[in-house]
Amino acid sequence: MVHVLLKRRLIDEEFLVRYTNAPQLIIHAPGSAEHGLILRTDEGEPAVWDQVSENYASACDPNVSPALVGEYQTPDGRTVKTAMALILEKYSDLQYAPENAAEQCGIAAEDIERFALEMAQIAFKESIRIDTEWTDWAGRKHDHFIGRPVSMHAMRGISAHSNGFQTCRALHLLQALLGTIDCPGGHLAKPPYPKHIPPHIKPARTCAPNTPLESPPLGFPTSPEDLLIDENGDPLRIDKAYSWDAPIASHGMMHMVIRNAVNADPYSIDTLMLFMANMAWNSSMNTAETMNMLREKDDNGEYKIPFIVSCDAFHSETVNFSDLVIPDTTYLERYDTISMLDRPISEPHAACDAIRHPILNTDRDVRSWQEVLIELGGRLELPLFIDENGGRRYKDYKDFIINYEKTPGIGFLAGWRGENGDQHLVGAPNPKQWEAYIENESFFELKLADNQRFLRHSNQGYLEFAKNAGWVGSTDQIVIELYSETLQSFRLAGEGLYDGPTPKTEEQAERLVKYFDPLPFFYKPLEQQQQDENQYPFYAINQRPMHMYHSWDSQNAWLRQITSHNYMYMNRKQAIDLGIDDLGWAWVESHNGRIRVQVKYMEAVEKNTVWTWNAIGKQAGAWGLTKDANESHQGFLMNHLISESLPKQKSITNSDPITGQAAWYDLKVNIRAALAEEQGSWPEFDEVKTLPRQQSTPDSVSYATHSNVNLNRSNRDILTRGGLK
Amino acid sequence: MKLGLLIDLDTCVGCHGCATACKQWNTSGTIGPLSDSNPYGKDPDGAWLNRIRTYEVGDAPDSKTVHFPMSCLHCENADCVTVCPTGASYKREEDGIVLVDQDKCMGCNLCAWACPYGARELDHDQGVMKKCTLCVDRIYDQNLPEEERQPACVLTCPTSSRLFGDFDDPESEVSIKSRQRGGRDLMPELGYEPTNKYLPPREKATVEMFALDSTEDGFSLKSWVNKMIAR
Amino acid sequence: MHPALSILVFTVTSGFGYGLMTLLILSQLLGGSPFANVNAYLIAFFVAFVLMSIGLLSSTFHLANPKNAWRAFNRFRTSWLSREGVLALLYYPIALSYVAVLWINEWQTTVAAYVLGAVCVVLGFVLTHCTAMIYASLKTIPQWHTRRVPIGFCLFFIYSGVLAYALAVVSEGGSPLSAVWIAACVLALTGLVFKLKYFTFVGEPSKTTINTATTFTEATVRLFDTGHSAENFLQKEFAYVVGPKTQALARKAVLALAFIVPLVLSALQFSRESSSLSMAIAAVLCCYVGLLLERWLFFIEAKHVVRRFYGEQY
Repeated sequence: MVHVLLKRRLIDEEFLVRYTNAPQLIIHAPGSAEHGLILRTDEGEPAVWDQVSENYASACDPNVSPALVGEYQTPDGRTVKTAMALILEKYSDLQYAPENAAEQCGIAAEDIERFALEMAQIAFKESIRIDTEWTDWAGRKHDHFIGRPVSMHAMRGISAHSNGFQTCRALHLLQALLGTIDCPGGHLAKPPYPKHIPPHIKPARTCAPNTPLESPPLGFPTSPEDLLIDENGDPLRIDKAYSWDAPIASHGMMHMVIRNAVNADPYSIDTLMLFMANMAWNSSMNTAETMNMLREKDDNGEYKIPFIVSCDAFHSETVNFSDLVIPDTTYLERYDTISMLDRPISEPHAACDAIRHPILNTDRDVRSWQEVLIELGGRLELPLFIDENGGRRYKDYKDFIINYEKTPGIGFLAGWRGENGDQHLVGAPNPKQWEAYIENESFFELKLADNQRFLRHSNQGYLEFAKNAGWVGSTDQIVIELYSETLQSFRLAGEGLYDGPTPKTEEQAERLVKYFDPLPFFYKPLEQQQQDENQYPFYAINQRPMHMYHSWDSQNAWLRQITSHNYMYMNRKQAIDLGIDDLGWAWVESHNGRIRVQVKYMEAVEKNTVWTWNAIGKQAGAWGLTKDANESHQGFLMNHLISESLPKQKSITNSDPITGQAAWYDLKVNIRAALAEEQGSWPEFDEVKTLPRQQSTPDSVSYATHSNVNLNRSNRDILTRGGLK
Repeated sequence: MKLGLLIDLDTCVGCHGCATACKQWNTSGTIGPLSDSNPYGKDPDGAWLNRIRTYEVGDAPDSKTVHFPMSCLHCENADCVTVCPTGASYKREEDGIVLVDQDKCMGCNLCAWACPYGARELDHDQGVMKKCTLCVDRIYDQNLPEEERQPACVLTCPTSSRLFGDFDDPESEVSIKSRQRGGRDLMPELGYEPTNKYLPPREKATVEMFALDSTEDGFSLKSWVNKMIAR
Repeated sequence: MHPALSILVFTVTSGFGYGLMTLLILSQLLGGSPFANVNAYLIAFFVAFVLMSIGLLSSTFHLANPKNAWRAFNRFRTSWLSREGVLALLYYPIALSYVAVLWINEWQTTVAAYVLGAVCVVLGFVLTHCTAMIYASLKTIPQWHTRRVPIGFCLFFIYSGVLAYALAVVSEGGSPLSAVWIAACVLALTGLVFKLKYFTFVGEPSKTTINTATTFTEATVRLFDTGHSAENFLQKEFAYVVGPKTQALARKAVLALAFIVPLVLSALQFSRESSSLSMAIAAVLCCYVGLLLERWLFFIEAKHVVRRFYGEQY
């Protein structure tokens, strides 16, 4: 679609010039350390070619008219091209033509062309106009916003592929070309977003006893210098995040921790603490093998992971592997914040955050994990948790949430701040803040003014508002990065041209060169590159059902009536061709193992794809379910088929090579009907041991907060009312 | 008055939110409790007043997945009421809501047999028939803020696929929407004249393609002429 | 439909009871008692009452909340089940009065006996009709929503009455009139033909389809997800199915046990000089089991339209 739009020049050139780095000049010097880096002015600002002065100028100068496409020679003899010129060069290649893309994605070439032209039609011929006065980043007044109502929705599915990061970038490129980012009808950010690119947070490098981390554990590296590697180039973190294997692993790589620890690669650990992650079951790839790893012992008969601590409100499969179990409350029994400092519940045109408060009293000796952390912080006398006199600073979680300030006036909760609770976003701690939230049904909403609602990356009114609220660090324009200099710096490192850290191994270097393209591109997912696709012809994916989306870590008598076992959904015609019956049992096999599942026919699934609900299958006896529960004998996990490492590079994670995001969705499988006597899901595991003093489950429950007030029909009415008609 | 629901099959995403909200409200409401058997064992089952089934309409690739929520349709010709021997089942004259007086029900199942829509479920623990009350204990509750005097399923629906209102009033939102989008009856041939109406999925919008009037080749860097655009 | 055993026992057993009672009255009114002595006559009445009562009691066993069963008399204005209850209750004093009037008048058929007997006979038919209408009034079950159902119920009730009456007479050492055996043969034959036609009828497609259920009448509609993993009340109650082989076998058994065997036995009885007790017992037992099976099949073959929502096409 990018190819189609560029070929016809159906792009929003004003948007590209004003809001993206498309006009910025990129140095063209193949084989040199500065190839692909952005040409900068003496002040270090990105340079553009100004068509008025016919000279180089700063991209930050509002008084220039940059050339969108062009190639120039600098006075010192270097060749530079605009990023847009590189974009045109790259995507004009016939490999991006619809005819060739069709082969990759299975969508007919004429449909690809049609989609692109329909989007162009909507964006450019059916645009909307909202008359509102607003001021741009440079202080210039405007009297309207133009809306290009083309919008795309992608959640976590795309990033669960090992080519996910570049695919997401490709989607955003398409949006930027159509000028449909943060405009009316377009892709709208939700406060506290948008943020500057990249956010100015680097991952914490060092940790030491009695010393707070110098920054958050997760952040955004911009060059090889930011990697968390030692002098030998080996990972500092147990999950190998921010190493050469996954340089921009901004979510961490939880899925690798157990494997890395058991293999002592990069090192072994003595204690593993797990919270809200069922790592012995549905939160791990390769579940059966992970369970074995948790049991693995060294030559001295010691467990390779000697001590496991888990915190759980339920008897999950992981609890069974734990040396210490910290009982947690359910979310109905605790205080919680859904904070603007993390991922709040904002709407595009309103900043929102929320709390939870207990609606049930705990009926057992238990504290919420939040309370335990605050308690531990105080007892360990962590600097943040003690006051000037060395005493406890925070009494409990509620106290911490109210009084902790990230910077003066800014804390976890944005609503009802100030001593009197009359300030929002910024204000002194309010001792009655929790009560204010509870009075307002547990959430806070602050609507943005009309002039702050669109083009917020370049909207002075919004940026000033956001800076005041602590959402962004400056009011500088947030320039959309179509061309990523960060990725190019890693690619230079892979080519051995970078003036700084370079990778240790050929494998690492090859990945950097191949995948760290500063412009988005498609490549076949890593796992699929390393196996015979004819042997495993089906794509296999899984997702959480809507009705259980927020119950990964709980078990619910009502929800399990809706889904107590899962099926493998398969295209009806395809299944019939393979001789698999509707609701028949079938073997599904990947390079990593095989499972037996029940197949359900479906019309709406692509013929070479199968899918299922995840985390429905449970180990027999876990979660307080009876040992014959459907979850354990009909339900199944697809996790067994997914490997956490690549088929031919066992030491490398099965993840996006840039972000380290687990490649859950790269799985390919084959399927065949099971024999008539092969019934029930497989593998089955030993029953989980019953916990000491575990209560047996009831045969029947009737939940009610109070006895019902019956609807009464009078006897007179019963005896005298005629037929209905 | 003829109170009922207008259900939009175009926008329902099948999240079961209405079903669980219904169960939550009503298990403590006038018709509660709604019992569950084998709640943590094999084949868990319970009494629900609202269930969502999912259908596939048409063969692939011209197929549409349709989520289909169903609760009591509060029929004009409610045979469930006609057949009830005890008088426990009744249809209110003032608003058309079909209710069960649990104190008078003997649990014979006949009303469930008479209902073509599967709206009535016997509560095995309680021994009486349960059904949707249109949240009669919400919609008239003067203690609730006015905007909350609606059935629990309607309030909770994240896609606003359920509307509550008076079908007798031609100017009510449900009447207007039902007229505009051709609200349909389920199993109309049986003559139950259900109050609840179902809105069919909308036709796919037709979008024009951008009419190409130039032969400009955007890929030719040499012939590209930059527009004068101020930063 | 889920066949509740108590309902099968109720409808068949009470059918025998009302049928026997009806035949006892008819034979008395039309031609005098064929019984050798009064006690035998009283015993036959008693047996009829017991059968009726077992049936009625059994009908309450499927109630989930029997403490409210007494309220079932309330809605006779609209409910066939209520009407059945009211009439069943009314039947007792009238039938008892009839017996009492006979007894007082030393088994002479007085005008009072004629009136009460006639009322009782009519009531038997009306009551059976009410029972049948509980099923036949349900538009939700096309296999039941037909005149065939009340006709069949009445036919089987009087047929089982004839066989029971014959047994009662034979068990006292008497021989029924030839007309009784003829009636038994004619009714058995009618029942056989009637049931064969009904088996064809239940196979006819109904106009209520998965398409009219879901409003999508112009395309194939398939159930994708029931919305719950285990069977729920609706499926247990309305989607009770047996295999086609079982069903075919049951059909043959119904025809043989309920109709063909009693038909052959009655024909043989007709041709004999004196009636055989064992043949009379065999005919009644076969018919009873056959009719129980018939009633079971009546439920099994009834396809409630709720099943359309669970994926059944028509």
